[in-house]
Amino acid sequence: MQLVLQNLVNGILSGGILALVALGFSLVYGIMNIINLAHGAFLMLGAYITWQLWSTFGLDPILAVPIAFVVLFAFGYGIQRGVINRVVRAPVLATFLLTFALSLLIETTALFVWTGDTRGVQTAYTGANFTLLGVTVPWAKLLTLVVALAITGILYLWLHRSRLGRAIRATSMDVGAAQMVGVRVAHVYGITYALGAGLAAAAGALLTLSYPLTPTMGDPFLIKGFVVCVLGGLGSVEGALVGGLVYGIVSSFATQFDVTIAGQHLSGTGLQDVLALVVLLVVLIVRPTGLVGRATA
Amino acid sequence: MVAVPKPRRGAITGKRWVFLVSLGLMAGLLFVPAGHSDYLNLTFRNILMYAAMSYGWNLIGGYTGYISFGNVAFFGIGAYCSAVLSKAGVDNLFADVGLALIVNALFAVAVGLPILRLRGHYFGIATLGVALGLTDLASNLDFLGGSGGASIKQIGEAHFTTYYYAMWAVTLACMIATFFIARSKLGYAFVAIRENEEAAQVLGISPTRYKVTAWAIGAMMGGAAGAVFGAANGFIDPPTAFAVDNNVFPIAMAILGGMGTASGPFIGALLLSGANELLQQHFLKLHALFFGGIIVLMILFLPRGLMYLVGLRGGMRRWLSDLAVFRV
Amino acid sequence: MLRIENVGMRFGGLWALKDVSFEVERGTILGLIGPNGSGKTTMMNVISGVYKPSEGEVQYAGRRIADVPTHDVCHLGIARTFQVVKPFANLTVRENVGVGAMYGRLGAKRSARDAFARTDELLEFVGLARVAGRPASDLTIPDRKRLEVAKALALDPEILLLDEVMAGLNASEVDEALHLLRTVNERGVTLIVVEHLMKAIMSISQRIVVLAEGKKIAEGLPQDVTSSPAVIEAYLGARYVKRQAAERERKAAAPPAEPPA
Repeated sequence: MQLVLQNLVNGILSGGILALVALGFSLVYGIMNIINLAHGAFLMLGAYITWQLWSTFGLDPILAVPIAFVVLFAFGYGIQRGVINRVVRAPVLATFLLTFALSLLIETTALFVWTGDTRGVQTAYTGANFTLLGVTVPWAKLLTLVVALAITGILYLWLHRSRLGRAIRATSMDVGAAQMVGVRVAHVYGITYALGAGLAAAAGALLTLSYPLTPTMGDPFLIKGFVVCVLGGLGSVEGALVGGLVYGIVSSFATQFDVTIAGQHLSGTGLQDVLALVVLLVVLIVRPTGLVGRATA
Repeated sequence: MVAVPKPRRGAITGKRWVFLVSLGLMAGLLFVPAGHSDYLNLTFRNILMYAAMSYGWNLIGGYTGYISFGNVAFFGIGAYCSAVLSKAGVDNLFADVGLALIVNALFAVAVGLPILRLRGHYFGIATLGVALGLTDLASNLDFLGGSGGASIKQIGEAHFTTYYYAMWAVTLACMIATFFIARSKLGYAFVAIRENEEAAQVLGISPTRYKVTAWAIGAMMGGAAGAVFGAANGFIDPPTAFAVDNNVFPIAMAILGGMGTASGPFIGALLLSGANELLQQHFLKLHALFFGGIIVLMILFLPRGLMYLVGLRGGMRRWLSDLAVFRV
Repeated sequence: MLRIENVGMRFGGLWALKDVSFEVERGTILGLIGPNGSGKTTMMNVISGVYKPSEGEVQYAGRRIADVPTHDVCHLGIARTFQVVKPFANLTVRENVGVGAMYGRLGAKRSARDAFARTDELLEFVGLARVAGRPASDLTIPDRKRLEVAKALALDPEILLLDEVMAGLNASEVDEALHLLRTVNERGVTLIVVEHLMKAIMSISQRIVVLAEGKKIAEGLPQDVTSSPAVIEAYLGARYVKRQAAERERKAAAPPAEPPA
């Protein structure tokens, strides 16, 4: 029972940040039909900005979250208006390759600026835990979860209440109709991509609390974000949240998996991503619109 | 009686002269080992390897219209086939390639039957999931060497030359197979599915059967390249076998050279992989920047590939107006 | 040959077809008519296996169509055209038809070369030989309709379902199309024709089935069907029929003002 509870808590803690990683990816995918392979690179940039602010000015990573968000928001807007918008209506392969090339450019540049050395951020609460009902909870992860959920909530409200948020949702449903009622699609696309990049950066900033930094640190998160947003259902905030939590909990329980077949030892710690991918494949085949099940794309 | 015009050539295999030029270039590549340079052999073997992988992707992505983001899985399986055989004491390239063909065909059918029911992006994501799952699985299987990787015994003295010829033969086989498949009934079934799956079905084509066929033949192509690579490299580990680059480069090559044509993958590989090797030689650290830049420029200015330029009538103005279609 | 038995087709809470039964004899031409939204295209989709009926069944040569996978329906000998044409836009006209000849009822016995030989005959027959090498996306509307027919014929059907192949054609093109269909029928192919053009369908059909609001309201010879009050009502509305009846009564009551010349 204790073990089940501990795994559940671990799953929720890592699921929250995964949801935030997936959120920006999902927005860009659901609204513009772009598989944004630069998402991991944006996350990495957010993490390095946070590290730079911490190592130069001693700024706490939590306080760096808004700064990383704003910087990458501006960067993302520029990329969408300057580059991606030029081919956004081409078959999806074009933007797929384009964002792959962008991530190659960003990661190589990061390698020059920050070198390939592994970096880390130390705070007063790094490594500190508290125990509740026999379940151990690291402060850093709890803080990450709280901030991630707060950002998700703010985004949800913004998308549903604000004028621009509604324009974005309208564009995702029908570009032509949105254009007709006066939505400036190029601008809306710019904002959407900017949001995606900003959210990735915020997630990257939060991840510095518990993950080491390298220029390629974003790649595994890109993949997880991809999986999470399909699990939950493309293009919806709720979907990213549900998908993130499911992914977190499944891979947390997967660590308990431990068997030996014909002398081959299979441990759950190594295979947790494989199991999560098996869940993804099953979900895709049984329910292609995702768990939340609102077909937007 | 009205004169019947000759049917338009090249909708299925690409322009005939381009294919003949490609064959000529392939013949020329036979002489690379005459340079007695391990470096040259390695460089051109890489180009040929990417071409073969690109042919594998082209059958399902270019001809059948199912965009796979996970074809590197087949390359990796092929490479591991060589490792497993080497461990069992069999060091023979024909055995390596043979095993890779069989294993990949079986694997592709087993995986293809469920996931080829998915359409569009969902199919792409599922294929990516398969490739990633295999990476993690290989890292956790002891008999494949786990994350430490496995070594493969090198054969003979002049191994660089042997492996070069082997890769050349694999690539030529892919090119010729694509040409003949495309002109056969099989090729028309693939293309009909790409153009309109429902309409193809009404004309008597079973989408499942032909999609799985295209996917499996492509898997065999990628697997053969992987088997030769594994043997030539002498070592294989999960990040090498299932490298992200090896997933994306072949797609870029097929687009540049011409998706759904019999020479596109070869030409694309020659140009892109050639550029990459050159850049790597001259700017070891910066080459990824240049390479990324080349792909960005290619997508921005040649999103329809190189053959579009060859067939372009109407010059610069037409080119720009064609590009503007994709803007918002 | 083809038996439609108590077919019902429901979409959500709406019955697009309800309890429709009729039979088609080998070698005949059956016209299927009805006002907009009466269920004609739905009927075509049920017969060709695109939809599985919610109730009842369609039997062809002793088999239930609903049990046959879509891609095998043409192998049974049933082919159809689509009201909204679906050519393979990047293939030539010849290749479009060729695919049908390769994978249709007799396709398994043909090589790609034989299939194209058969294709060339068909293109000549429907009058598309002059554009054989053009991409299908370049065709004019009448040529697209011809292509639809050629693709269906390439499947070597025993029974051919034609969904509005004459819509959008001018008078002389309609005559050509009618001639073409008669020739196809003379070669032994059974036809089911859905058409809006009354004149065309009356002249070509041996029997007519009339649908209205998803139900069969009449069946019979063309001239009998057109005089049926139920059919007139369905087409022109109940008020028109009542007014007509009132008119007749008035005329019967009051003697004509002047004798007819």
